[in-house]
Amino acid sequence: MKRKKLAPKILAGLSFMAYFFLWAPVLVIIVFSFSANRYGVAWDGFTMKWYGALLQNVAVKDALIRSLIIASVTVVVSTLIGTITAYGLYKLHFRGKRFLRTSILLPIIMPGVVTGGALLVFFTRVIHIPLGYPSIIIAHIVFSTPLAVFVILGRMQRINWAWEEAAMDLGANRFRTFVRVTGPLLMPAIMASAVLIFPWSFDDFVITYFVSGIGSTTLPIYVFSQMRFGATPVINTIGALFVAVTIVALFLQRAIEKRSKATL
Amino acid sequence: MGTTVNSTLLHRNTPKEPKKKKTFPLEVPLYMGPITFIVGVFVFAPLLIILFYSFLKTGNYGEIVYEFTLKNISAILGAGYGGVFLTSFYLAFQTNVICLLVGYPLAYYIARYGGQYKVLLISMIIIPSWVAYLIRLYALKTIAGNKGLINTLLLNLGIISEPLEILYTPFIVMVGLVYTWLPFMVLPLHASLEGLEPALLEAATDLGASPVRRFFRVILPLTRGGVIAGSILVFIPTLGDWLVPALLGGAKVMMVGNLVAFQFTVAGNIPTGSSLAIMLAATLILTLYLAIKWGGKEAMERIV
Repeated sequence: MKRKKLAPKILAGLSFMAYFFLWAPVLVIIVFSFSANRYGVAWDGFTMKWYGALLQNVAVKDALIRSLIIASVTVVVSTLIGTITAYGLYKLHFRGKRFLRTSILLPIIMPGVVTGGALLVFFTRVIHIPLGYPSIIIAHIVFSTPLAVFVILGRMQRINWAWEEAAMDLGANRFRTFVRVTGPLLMPAIMASAVLIFPWSFDDFVITYFVSGIGSTTLPIYVFSQMRFGATPVINTIGALFVAVTIVALFLQRAIEKRSKATL
Repeated sequence: MGTTVNSTLLHRNTPKEPKKKKTFPLEVPLYMGPITFIVGVFVFAPLLIILFYSFLKTGNYGEIVYEFTLKNISAILGAGYGGVFLTSFYLAFQTNVICLLVGYPLAYYIARYGGQYKVLLISMIIIPSWVAYLIRLYALKTIAGNKGLINTLLLNLGIISEPLEILYTPFIVMVGLVYTWLPFMVLPLHASLEGLEPALLEAATDLGASPVRRFFRVILPLTRGGVIAGSILVFIPTLGDWLVPALLGGAKVMMVGNLVAFQFTVAGNIPTGSSLAIMLAATLILTLYLAIKWGGKEAMERIV
C-alpha cells in the first residue's frame, strides 16, 4: 500500500520538473530585462533603464504598429471566412465536402518553410503582388483561416441548435434568425477563434520572414534581426512585456467567458 | 467487457449529427466560395508552381532555366541531402519519444490530481507556448551558451573546469524541439485522460491489479487515441521545423527546414528550394497518412 501513496508524489515531482523546464527561459527573460548588464545575459543589479530605452525606440514602435495592423486584419478576415465556412461545413451536405475538408487542413500541416517558400515564389514570379503589407496579410490569412474553421467547427458541435429551429418555427425568416439567434449562438466560437488567431498571427515569424520583403519589419522580424547583432536587453524587455500581456489577456478572456455564461 | 467499455466511451463523445436541411441553389457556393478561393489560389496553386519549378534547371547565376530535369529530385534521394532528411527524422522521432515520456506523467497528474487547479495548471502549459516563440528560444540559447547560466553555474561550483559544449549540438536542438512542442503533446493526452471512466480504474484495482499492471493494461490502451494524436501533433511540425535548428544548431545541426530556407532566402536557388520543399511536404503527408491509417481513425476522431 505504500506504493500507492508514493505514486502521486513521484508524479508531482516529474510535473514540477516539466513546469520548471517550460518556465525557466521565460523567467530568465523577465529577470534579465531588469538587469543592468548591457548584453542582457547576466545579473548586474536592478535597473528600469531598458524599459525606458524601449519606449524611445522608434524601430520597435514601427514594428509593433505594423504587427498589430497585420494581426487585426488577419483576425477579422479569417474569423469571418472561418465562420461562414464552418457553418456551411456543419449544416450543408454537398459533393466534394470530404475533399474540401481535407484540403483546408493542408495549410495547417505544411511546415512554415514550405508555405512561406511556395507563397514567395507565387507572389514574386506568378501574380506579382508587392512584398509588404499585401503579401504578409494574404499569407497570414492563408494560414489562419483553416485554424478558424476548425476551432469554430469544434465549438459548433456543443451548440444547442434547437434555438435556431425554434426561431424559424415561431415565424422568423432566415435572415432574422441568423442575425438574432444563430449569430449570438456562434459568438463564443467566434471569440475563441479570434483569441487563438491574434497571437498566432502576431507571433508568426517563419512565413512572414519569407514574404515580407525589405522594409516591412514586423515585431518578430525585428527581434530576429536584433538577435543577429548579439544579445541586446531590448529583446528581454519585449519578451517580458509579451508575457505580461498574454497573462492579462488570458485572465480577461476567462472573465468574459464566465460573465457570458452567467447571463445565459 | 471490452465491448461495453467501448460503447459507453464512444457514446459519450459522439457529436449529434446535424439535421439535414434543404439546400438552396446558391447556398453551397455562398458558404464555400471564400474558402475554396483561398485554398485554391493561395495553397494549391503555389504548391503546384513549386512542383513545376522543382523539375527545372538552375543556370550558372542561380537563374531559372526552363528545361526539364530530374537532377534536383535525384540530389535529394542521393547522399547529399538524404543525410539531412535522415537527421531530421531521427531528431523528430527522438523529440516525440521524449515529449511522450515527459508529457504523459504531466497530463496524468493534471487529470488525476489537478482538482480545483486544473485550469491554472493547463494555462501554465499554454501560456509559454503563446509567448514570443523566438524570444523563448533565444532565452534557451543564452542559458545553454558558453557563458550561459548552466556553464557559469557549473564553473563556479567547480564541477567543470572548461565550459561544456552544449550549444550547436544535436542534443540542444532536441531540447529546443521538446521545449517548443511539448504543449501539443500534453493537451490531447490530457483530453483523453479526462475522458477516462473512473469506474474502470476502480474496477481494475478491486480485481487486484497492481498500479503498474493497471496502467499498462487499462489506462494506456484506453488513452491510445491521445498518444497517437499527440504524437502526430508533435512529429509533423518537428520534422519541418526550421527556427529551432537554425538558432540552436547553427551550421552544425541541419534539418530539412534549414535547407529549404537557405535555398529560398539566401541562395535564391528556386528550383533546388522548390524540390526540397516538395519533398518535405510529400514526406509529411505520407507520414500523416500512415499514422492515421495505422493509428486507427476512430481513435483520432475521438480526440480531435
